Formats: sequence, C-alpha cells, structure tokens
Amino acid sequence: MDKEELINGYFEGSLSQNQLEEVERLLITDSEFASEFGFQKELQVSLKKEERQEIKAMFSDIADKDSASETKVFQLRPWLAAASIALLVGLGSWFLLFNNPDLNTNELYAANFKPYDNVIHPIERGNQLEDLKTRAFTAYENEEYPEALILFQELQSKQNDAYIDFYSAMVLMQLNKQEEAIPLLEGYIEQEGELKDRASWYLALAYLKKEDLDSCKKELKTLVEKNEFKARAAENLLEQLN
Amino acid sequence: MTDEQLIAQLKKRDRNALKSVYLNYKTEFFKFMSRYNAKNDVLEDIFQDALIVLYENAQSGKLDALKSTVKTYLFGIGKFMLFKHFRDSKREVPTEETYLFDQYEQAVIEDVYEDEGPNDYQKQMAASFKKLGDKCREILELFYLQGMKLGEITVRQGYDNKDVAKSQKSRCLKSLKQLIGKKDG
Repeated sequence: MDKEELINGYFEGSLSQNQLEEVERLLITDSEFASEFGFQKELQVSLKKEERQEIKAMFSDIADKDSASETKVFQLRPWLAAASIALLVGLGSWFLLFNNPDLNTNELYAANFKPYDNVIHPIERGNQLEDLKTRAFTAYENEEYPEALILFQELQSKQNDAYIDFYSAMVLMQLNKQEEAIPLLEGYIEQEGELKDRASWYLALAYLKKEDLDSCKKELKTLVEKNEFKARAAENLLEQLN
Repeated sequence: MTDEQLIAQLKKRDRNALKSVYLNYKTEFFKFMSRYNAKNDVLEDIFQDALIVLYENAQSGKLDALKSTVKTYLFGIGKFMLFKHFRDSKREVPTEETYLFDQYEQAVIEDVYEDEGPNDYQKQMAASFKKLGDKCREILELFYLQGMKLGEITVRQGYDNKDVAKSQKSRCLKSLKQLIGKKDG
C-alpha cells in the first residue's frame, strides 16, 4: 500500500491496526507525508466548521424572525392564545385562498439561487492575458456584477457564443433583473446550449422571483422528469410550492 | 415525514429537512429543558448544536439503527450538552444520568460543543474550496465531509474505476493547494 492509499484509508476508516501504526510512524519520520496528511486533515476540519457555520446562520435567521412574535404569544392567557390561534388559522387560510402568489416566494428564491460557477473559461490567476473574456469572467467570479454585465454585453457584440447569454442571465438575476434574464435563458435553452439543464433551473428561479408560479412549476417539472441536474432540489421546491 | 425518511434526507445533506426539525421541535425542546433553569440564549445555542450533531451523526450512519425516536435522540444530545455546560460553569448536576451514545457519538457531541468557529487558515481554506469547480467540490465533500469511501464515490459519481476517482481526488487537492498558495503570494 503506497502512502497515498494509507492516507485515503485513514480517512475511510478502513486501515488495519498494523497500517494505523505505519501511519503513526510515517507522521514522525516522513515530513512530506506528515504535511500531506496534515493538509487533508485541516481540509476536513475546515469543511466541517464551514458547514456548521452555514447551518447556524440558517437557524439564527429563523430564530430572529420568530423571537419577536413568539415571546408575546406565550404570555397570553390560554383562552386568548386559543382565540388568537383560531384567528391566525383563519387568516392563514385566507392568505392561502386569496393571496396565493405568496409571501414566501422571495424566501424560496433566496434559499435556492446561487450563481452558476464559471465552467467556460477557467481563470489562471496571475495570467498576463487580460483579454475581454478573461476580464468578463474575472469580474463574474469576483462578484462584481455590474462590471461583468457590461463586459459580457461587449463580448456578446464581438463573438456570438451561446454561453454568454447564460452568464449574462446569471448576472442579471444577481442584479435582480429577472425580467431581462428570462428571455436570455429561454433563448439559450432553445438553442440547445450545453448548460441547458442549468438554464432550466435558473429559469424556474427567475419565474419564482417574478411570482409566475405556473411557469416556474413547469420548468421544475421538466427538471424532475429529466432526473439529472438539480432534480432533487427541483422536487423539493415543487413540494414547497404545492 | 417519518423518522426514517427524515434520516434518509439528512444523510443526503438536505438542509431543508434539518430546518424542519428545528421548526418542529424548538418549542417542545425549550419546554422540556425549562425544568433545568437555563437561560434562553444558552438553550438556543445548545438546541442548534444538538441539531448539528444529529445532522452529522445521521450522515455517518449512526442513526441507521436508531432505537429511539429522532426527537428523543435529539433531546438526549441537548441534555448531555446542557449538563456539560453546567459542569463547565461549576453548577451541580445529577450524576446518575445515563445516555445511549457510544464513544464516537460522544466525541462528535463534544467536538460540536467545543467548536468555536474556524480560524483564519480554515476560513481561507473554505473560501478557496468554494472556488474549485463543481466536480472537485463534489468529490472532496463526499470523501471528507460525508465520509464516503472512494469505492462508493466511484459508483455514485460514475467514474470508470476506483483509480480514476483516486486520481481525480488527488488532482482536486492539488488545485486547492494552488488556490491557497496564490492567496498567500
């Protein structure tokens, strides 16, 4: 078993007692091994801590929204609490019945929207070649969206590649211009662009943000049927919308 | 959602499922813990930590053969943590408490309880990680976060064989190192 396999086995928890002892020995005697092992261990810890922080942020969001109303409700006398629950249920169904394109589309949108990674033009940082395409995608990766929008438009006028529409749409959505993103995404899907499934997902989200729930659901259903990119997320979202 | 369905969703790292656990059990958790006279902000912290333990232990398969309900398990973690908190602040606690956690589960509880957030290097590592492509992030998360074996990843991600998965993972680690290196320079 080579050293890489020893490290992999360690993380998989599949090493025998002898192999574990070998790891311990190498950690002391082989500095290259120790540094590689340390890097991977640190990566694991970093990923874990990052995820924990993200989850806590999600909880704190909910807690903040709840806390104001909650403390008051619990101090009410029981009969009053019962009455207010009845009232709330009543109001709730009123909202459901008459006001459906509804209160939480923004929240659902925010929970699901994350601009798609740059998979078209990997940027070698430090590269001298600062052509238009590089500048556009650099701005995109650095989340400088107004700048990216201008550059993508310039790029579009010079070379007519379909992916530019896709990324322009990402930028527009990021700038809250779903209205303008929708035709770009639709066009891109029609042209059978390589990232077509991705485009469907974002199209669904753009409709969601615009509260056009019928169109949103239609796109989501396509994704679920294809059962590839974001199929599960689409299914979840559909459930929440229904 | 039944407990089995919930556990299955948590294993897939479905955060919405975790959110629903938070919403479903929060009031009850606070009520259950009210007998111990802890402050609300302490309870909120502990409840959140307990949910993270639930999430992580579900992923490592510790809940596959769960003998109690998810609720009992979750509240047990909360109680364990609260007593630890009391002991740390020199408050007396009943000593006869018994828990069903094995050594591994207990280690996770303590790890989450003690976790004070990432240090600067870990933050930088996580930020660089986010710059990797989809494929790299997927394989590294499956391996380091979800504890999947390379063989399992090969099947799940449709790699030709284990060696392909292995060298893909190694390439991704290299890219990550480069990203981190560039930030330093």
